[in-house]
Parts: sequence; C-alpha cells; structure tokens
Amino acid sequence: MDEPAWREGVKAATPIVLGYLPVGLAFGVLARRAGLTTPEAGLMSLLVYAGSSQFIAVEMISKGALWFPIVVTTFLVNLRHLLMSSTLSLYLNKKSLRVLALLAAQLTDESFAVAMSNRSKLAHGFAYLFGLQVTSQVAWITGSVGGAFFGGLIDHEGYGLPFALPSLFICLLVLQIRSPVHFWMMITAGVSSLIFKATFSGNWYIVLATLLTLGIGVLIHRTGRKGTERIER
Amino acid sequence: MRLETFWIILGMAGVTFVARFLPMALLSRWSIPERIRLGLEYVPVAILSAIVFPLLFFDQTGNFEIQPRCLLSALCAFAFAWKVKSVWGSVLVGMLIFWMLGFML
Repeated sequence: MDEPAWREGVKAATPIVLGYLPVGLAFGVLARRAGLTTPEAGLMSLLVYAGSSQFIAVEMISKGALWFPIVVTTFLVNLRHLLMSSTLSLYLNKKSLRVLALLAAQLTDESFAVAMSNRSKLAHGFAYLFGLQVTSQVAWITGSVGGAFFGGLIDHEGYGLPFALPSLFICLLVLQIRSPVHFWMMITAGVSSLIFKATFSGNWYIVLATLLTLGIGVLIHRTGRKGTERIER
Repeated sequence: MRLETFWIILGMAGVTFVARFLPMALLSRWSIPERIRLGLEYVPVAILSAIVFPLLFFDQTGNFEIQPRCLLSALCAFAFAWKVKSVWGSVLVGMLIFWMLGFML
C-alpha cells in the first residue's frame, strides 16, 4: 500500500511546487546578487530548506555579516517549526528516529499546511508525507539553482532589483500584523534595532532587538490581554 | 566553495533541524508551555521589523541617513501589502517605485 500513498503525496504537492519554483528562482537570483555562487545557493536550499531564513541570510551575507549572527538569527526565525513539529508528532507515533529525522528535515510551513488539510492520509503511514515533502523540496532546489544560474546574467542594479528583498520583507511583515499588539511589536523591534545598529558594530542588532521585543511581548501577556485580540482585515 | 559560506550553511542547517526534529523526537511527551507559545507568536514580526527598519534608515556604508527613495518605496510596498496581501504584487510594486524614483530623485 506504500506506493500509492507515496504517489498521493507527490500529487498533493502540486500547489506547493507551483509556489516554490518561482520563489526559489527569486532566491537564486538574490543569492547570486549577494555574492553566493550557484553551488552555494543550491547547497543552502538542500541543507537548510527554510525560505524566509534563507532570504534573511542572503541579506545578512550581502551586508558582510559573519557566520555566528547569521546562525543565531536563523535559529530565531525557524523556532516556529517547534510548533509545527510538535503538532505533527501526534500523527507520527511509533516511527523510528531515523524516519522522524527524515520527515523533520523537510518540514516547512507549506508542506505542514497541506498535510494538516488532509489528516486522514497521515494516519496510514509516513509514505504520503514523505512523497509530499520530497517533491516540494525538489521544486525548491530546482528553482534556487535555476535562479542562481540565470541570476548571473542579470543586471543586478537595474529594474529596482536592489529593493526586491526589502519589499519582500515588508510584505511578510505586513502579513504578520494580526493585532494591535503585533503593530506595536513592529514599532518596538524596528526602533530598538535602529538604536542597536547605531550603538554596536556587527550584525547583532537583529538578535538583540528581537529578544528585547519578545521579552516585552511576554510581559504584556502577563499583565493583561488588552489589544491582543485579532483585527479583522 | 568558500569556508565561511560553508560554515554559515552548515550552522543554519543544524539549528533549523533542531527546531524541526526536537518535538518529533520527544514524541509528544513534551508539550510546549503556553508562555513560549505566546513568545513564538511574535518572533516573525520582531525579526522582520529588526531587518526592515535598518535597511531603510542606514545607507550601504552603515551610516544613519534619511533615504527618501527607500522610504517612499517602502511605504508603497507596505500599503500595497496591507490592501492586497499579495507577496509577488508587493515585491513588484516596491521594485517598480524604487526603479522609477531612481529617475526622479
């Protein structure tokens, strides 16, 4: 029964593939712009495979950041996988650690969302999830390598390309603002990051501003829930 | 492949894998405390703000500077994202405005 389940997973990945190919292409182009080579961009998509953190890393690399601040920032960005992984673990009981490691390595927001939309498939074994995730990652790597390859041929300063990454981050930021508290978190993190950047050398301002904002966020939730209700948009 | 880039990729892969694997490996014997769950809710908005604001207010050499071209493009991308909620649309709007302002400012 494993073969059909695997194929079902591959089919379920179709919308993800359509999303990952163009975003992967964009990543490849921007990675190239930041000075990464095509093999480096491909290796990052193979081993890290986490879109937003890869875009952030590329931005930090282009600003000359060293490995330690980049790795700590990546860790913070990808902490949200804890939630998805703990939800998925409910459906993956009695699997060997090796199988779990394989499934965990390819967990993304998108594959998680598709897997959760059809939970009955998860109950029959891991072949479905495996097919879904492998197909998605193949699309991501293909896009990245293609983008990095063709990115070498594009004029990197033309067509507003220097503002592609800032626009992407701004849009992702807007999509995160779900309550008035989120908005004030943005102001807190934004202003404190400016102060930290002006005060300390290196690229630690992202980590420092994030931790400060998280601390304030947790305190707000302790003192009361006013303003944390979601806004309808 | 440069050694520094290799370490960046390996380190990123390691910490990302830990966040993905740990809850699964513990097999739901450990549920995430409410306090941490609340904190995680604000991680993306905090990190993205801490990246975006300095991009707009510091120039390439790392000096504080009001950059009208960046700020106007950012406001347009922000407004478009708020109204339309389209990632590709916002990126294109941001790039387009930035490109056009390059001729005007």
